[in-house]
Amino acid sequence: MFRRLIFEDSAALFTLVAFITAVSIFVSISWRAIRMKRPQLAHSEQLPFAIPTPAARHDTDTTA
Amino acid sequence: MPARKITVEFNDKVVRQFLLASVIWGAVGMLVGVLIAAQLRYWQLNFDLPWLTFGRLRPLHTNALIFAFVGNMMFAGVYYSTQRLVKARLASDFLSQLHFWGWQAIIVAAAITLPLGFSRGKEYAELIWPINIAVALIWVVFAVNFFWTLARRREPTLYVGIWFYIATIITVAMLYIVNHLSIPTGLLHSYPLFGGVQGALVQWWYGHNAVAFFLTTPILGIMYYFVPKAAERPVYSYRLSVIHFWSLVFVYIWAGPHHLLNTALPDWLQTLGMTFSLMLWAPSWAGMLNGLLTIRGAWDKLRTDPVLKFFAVAVTFYGMSTFEGPLLSIKAVSALAHYTDWIVGHVHSGTLGWNGFMAAGMIYWLLPRLWNRPLHSLALANLHFWLGLVGILLYTAAMWTSGITQGVMLNATAEGGTVLAYSNFIETVTTIRPMMLMRLIGGGLYLVGWFLLIYNLWKTVAGAQAVNGSIEVFDDAGEIRADEKLSLVGTFLSPPVAFSILAVGFSCAWMFGNDFLSIAGLVALMLCVVAAYAHFESRGKKWASWWDRLLVNTAPFTILVVIAVAAGGLVQIIPTVLVHRAANVEDRRQIPYTPLELAGRDLYVSEGCHNCHSQMIRTLVPDVLRYGDYSRLGESIYDYPFQWGSKRTGPDLARVGQKYPNIWHYRHMENPRSVSAGSTMPNYPWLLTKATDTAALPGKISAQRMLGVPYPAWSPAEVFADVDAQAKAIADDLRAAGAAVAPDRQIVALIAYLQKLGKFETVAPAKAAAR
Repeated sequence: MFRRLIFEDSAALFTLVAFITAVSIFVSISWRAIRMKRPQLAHSEQLPFAIPTPAARHDTDTTA
Repeated sequence: MPARKITVEFNDKVVRQFLLASVIWGAVGMLVGVLIAAQLRYWQLNFDLPWLTFGRLRPLHTNALIFAFVGNMMFAGVYYSTQRLVKARLASDFLSQLHFWGWQAIIVAAAITLPLGFSRGKEYAELIWPINIAVALIWVVFAVNFFWTLARRREPTLYVGIWFYIATIITVAMLYIVNHLSIPTGLLHSYPLFGGVQGALVQWWYGHNAVAFFLTTPILGIMYYFVPKAAERPVYSYRLSVIHFWSLVFVYIWAGPHHLLNTALPDWLQTLGMTFSLMLWAPSWAGMLNGLLTIRGAWDKLRTDPVLKFFAVAVTFYGMSTFEGPLLSIKAVSALAHYTDWIVGHVHSGTLGWNGFMAAGMIYWLLPRLWNRPLHSLALANLHFWLGLVGILLYTAAMWTSGITQGVMLNATAEGGTVLAYSNFIETVTTIRPMMLMRLIGGGLYLVGWFLLIYNLWKTVAGAQAVNGSIEVFDDAGEIRADEKLSLVGTFLSPPVAFSILAVGFSCAWMFGNDFLSIAGLVALMLCVVAAYAHFESRGKKWASWWDRLLVNTAPFTILVVIAVAAGGLVQIIPTVLVHRAANVEDRRQIPYTPLELAGRDLYVSEGCHNCHSQMIRTLVPDVLRYGDYSRLGESIYDYPFQWGSKRTGPDLARVGQKYPNIWHYRHMENPRSVSAGSTMPNYPWLLTKATDTAALPGKISAQRMLGVPYPAWSPAEVFADVDAQAKAIADDLRAAGAAVAPDRQIVALIAYLQKLGKFETVAPAKAAAR
């Protein structure tokens, strides 16, 4: 009877398909992340420390 | 030729500039926040001055803290960490300076225009079109500088923090440009391209993701760099950070419709927004746990190190507010919480706790290193921490109490749900007054803490020598091996991407095709899934190598981020824009405003009335009992911009038209308390004396016609004649009721608009079906 309502019956599929797509991507990425090699991970997680940073007083002074 | 070892000096000057700007604008934004919080408790603090009223200052507060405070802090953090993570100086000193000064000029322009009432009437998107163009241009400058730096990097691997920065740059550009598309009617005014339900959807696609991609993803990138640095240990789980990134980036963009639950937004969109909001729990908490567990083994440092204290609490607030957000996105919870202070409390636990404390931690960490001098006072930094923390807790507790009180009172019914338990809206306003005071105290404490940071900063850097970091590095260190390179074509021809594209295409054929195409699409989709599995089993190495190459190739990585963030928006916006047009609506359709009503509406937008009044009666019994029949999609289809609102400090106005006589509105705007005892609304005396800008109306009506509003092809003379006739009728009515006012005053136009609200034409179902 109403165009908007008729459309919405099929549009509701978006919710389902979107959910499945999101879950698929989540599973794929999780799989790839779990399969990342140890040296690759070690290299990546050490990147913030690749350049030494000068210490600030409160980093080392534990009596303050 | 053997590789040369070179010394790279980082551009830390621009980092210092952005850091100082963030501190200063943060103070301004917070000060305005405290003032408007005080106005909600003591209406007299509006001072009867147009540029100091709540409706104009609230956008200044939000814009200042989002774009000026967090924006500048984000740029400082991004530029500092990126240079070190990729072992390269920022690509261009000129672009860096253009970025800094351009951004500050935008902030100054916003700080001038918003209090003067120049507003687009959309939350966090209030700035007028010339400023928006400047924002887009400066953002491009930022993007060019950033990606150019990545192109010159001397470290092939892109750290996860860089991923978050890439997602930020791409997504904010997309959101900002689409939501700010407008048709100018003059140098200072425009109408947005999307109105009504389309405007609402696009606005909250933008608004929600402004939180996601301006206030969250860049700060997560900063977290992944600065928390490990402060804790002196690597991120707890790099694997978890990978999952965190991709799931957050993909899921976040879909959640915007949760701002429109129980409204006239089509139900499938509401369900989509709610579902994806609930799914956000997982990636958000993955990030929070990863951040907090990074401090494992270093908890003892929290006793002495204010930086880690700020970071630990900031990440905790990230977890708490991202728990609360999905909770509030459940339709039943939203029915209670939406339009109340609970939402305000939720937003502030994110901005004060997560953004504000991350900013403070980062600033305290950077100060000694950027100026080569120990922090002036650890004790003051610790005092800042405790003042800020107590301030946030007081603030959020006040807002929770106030919001839940409002929700419960406004939704309470009696006699079997047939009458309202608290029929007068003002009852809630007076009940929550003590909480408004508590909020003011909480916000005040937070501001005092921030002033301590400013004092500490000043004492630390005054007379200190600014220093730029430097490293020695081989000049070919960033070269990617030939077998690791991934071309743009290769990106799309790689098995995971190719199969995904095919699957999406076949899904579309299945969903939208006619009988044969639909079945063919379904069959092809199933075959595609089987083929993908078979390919993965037989050529698994190709899939794995594609992933490895993706991690070191910026352009393909960025393209996949674009696809991930665009997907959610396209799925929601395209059907809404194509289908929910005026020609398709059923039941009720808005009657276009007369020229005088349109002028009154522009005044309503300019004064920021939507900051306190919604125009959307939800499909909930208490809403209908209080305000009248629920709002239909078609009843705001010609509203550019839509004014559904997000907060009810005052009552909904969707059907206020003809509810009161003209003189009531006149007295109400002159002094709200004269007709509504206990009201906290400001006085608007200038509306009674200032003239309406009718000269611009022919141009504005032409713009509305371009947008699809069915105005006749009026000549300017016809427009002015229509204005004069309607204004005279209202002025005569006011005079008869005892208020002498000239027909050309703003109050007359505003009354014309308010009296129109709720008027509609009925569209017969048969007529709609025939289209």
